Amino acid sequence: MTNHLVLEVGTALIIIALAALLANKINFSIIPFLIICGMIVGPHAPVIGVLDFTFINSNEIITFFGRIGVLFLLFYLGLEFSVGKLVRSGKNIAVGGSIYILINFSLGLIYAYMVGFPLLEVLIIAGIITISSSAIVAKIIVDLRRTANPETELILGIIMFEDIFLAVYLSIISGLVLGDATSVLGVTKSILIAFGYMILFFVIARTCTKHLNRLLNITSNEIFIIVIFASLFFIAGFSETIHVAEAIGALLLGLVFSETQHSERIEKMVIPFRDFFGAIFFFSFGLSIDPFTLGGAVWLALGAVLITIIGNFVAGMIAGRKAGLSHKASSNIGLTIVSRGEFSIIVANIGMAGGLASVLKPFSALYVLILAILGPLLTKESKKIYGVLNSIFKWKKEEKLPLKKKAN
Amino acid sequence: MIVKETELPGIGRKFEIEISNKDKVVVIVHDDGRREIYHFDKHDYEESLSSVTLSDTEARQFAAIIGGMIYRPKALETIEMAFDELMIEWYRVESNAFAVGRTIGELDIRQKYEVSVIAIIKGNEKVLNPGPETMIDSGDMLVISGERHGVKRIIKEMFSAEVSSE
Repeated sequence: MTNHLVLEVGTALIIIALAALLANKINFSIIPFLIICGMIVGPHAPVIGVLDFTFINSNEIITFFGRIGVLFLLFYLGLEFSVGKLVRSGKNIAVGGSIYILINFSLGLIYAYMVGFPLLEVLIIAGIITISSSAIVAKIIVDLRRTANPETELILGIIMFEDIFLAVYLSIISGLVLGDATSVLGVTKSILIAFGYMILFFVIARTCTKHLNRLLNITSNEIFIIVIFASLFFIAGFSETIHVAEAIGALLLGLVFSETQHSERIEKMVIPFRDFFGAIFFFSFGLSIDPFTLGGAVWLALGAVLITIIGNFVAGMIAGRKAGLSHKASSNIGLTIVSRGEFSIIVANIGMAGGLASVLKPFSALYVLILAILGPLLTKESKKIYGVLNSIFKWKKEEKLPLKKKAN
Repeated sequence: MIVKETELPGIGRKFEIEISNKDKVVVIVHDDGRREIYHFDKHDYEESLSSVTLSDTEARQFAAIIGGMIYRPKALETIEMAFDELMIEWYRVESNAFAVGRTIGELDIRQKYEVSVIAIIKGNEKVLNPGPETMIDSGDMLVISGERHGVKRIIKEMFSAEVSSE
């Protein structure tokens, strides 16, 4: 049989492009569409003429592209992040973010434990449940024209807070899952290595900024991109050898570059790669899932969805009220950050790479699919949801009065 | 007018402007260059009344209109800024300013400040290229051109009220 590798990858890209066009047409995030498309095709799909929808021959390369997608997603996350931004963000965001993480991570732990998973799976599921999708949340806020709303600052602040949590959490979890987790000593060693590695990067970011600035002072775009990508791939790959997920390596390198003068140039350069390989990542994630295994994870996923919605809503309500927002604005917070996407999948993928329970995969797929679709709908209908809840809890009375006074 | 600036991580920057009638205007400058402008009624700062989205180019032109940089009287149409340092300034003569009740020739504007008065708008009346005999009154709108420091100096010393009272 001749090898039609380019055609197969091309076919996959056509499917991805069509899904993206469709998502754009109905103004939705592309993530759920790509996952579904990936699930529909695969080994169970037919071969029609020259078009091979099983993607068996090209599976390896599509998966590899997907891996690159994860690197770019997290590299970009690191790049965008800056310590200065965090310090400037203020008390409300620190409080709101902590409340959010505390409530939702604990709920995730309790839920996974009650369902009867062993420790590592519990940690992975709690992680999947805790981290919102920055991409979907930012998109929905802009689409619904809510950028100017009072709660938006807090929402984006909480998302930023989640990103930090994600970095720390991923470092620890990847040490645990990918390293030697059979003995207490092994576990401690893995965690220490992960932490030491992370601190090493922070120190480099702080102390070597000057040298990096000079080193990256490259006029030619061509050479600049080669240098950046070389360091990205090498460091991500190297991290893997000491049992730190390659994604974390990419994230930490992004953090280092974010402190340099060149961060904006790198960001601009990386965005198209992140978008392209990111899309392949979502598709390849779908591809790796046998849709017939989804049935076994339905109840697990539905339970998690319910927990997430309640946890997010309550956390948003508390964070919003603490920041002095109205009940209505506060209810918007939880209903907006409830969307799940890229990061939940990345967390699940680390679990898979560590050979944890295979149910994690269909579980995370279903969970992300439901919340990537339901989340934006909840955000859109937040006014109606608030109306219903308001008629139960009677919030509005105490709010209307001071407002009217102001008007007079 | 109170302006509050906040960062929207992942989106851009937000400028909240509370105007004198308590309405609120919010401008979002997106990282990708788009601008959004929202109008909030004074009774409700949570639900905007209306909003527009502008591209970067549109926003710049819009800003120029708002800032009064685009609409100039016909007298000025042909004048182009030749040097960076050369500027045209519009200034309303304050009452009690030194120049009030004096003519352009008397003040020796051209010699002392190297500034020329291009036009004076007195109420509805326009005086183009006013001669040395033209009298400056309080409330006149002067259009003057010259080098930056000269223009600044003349406004301070001749046309504003603060200095002349010293």
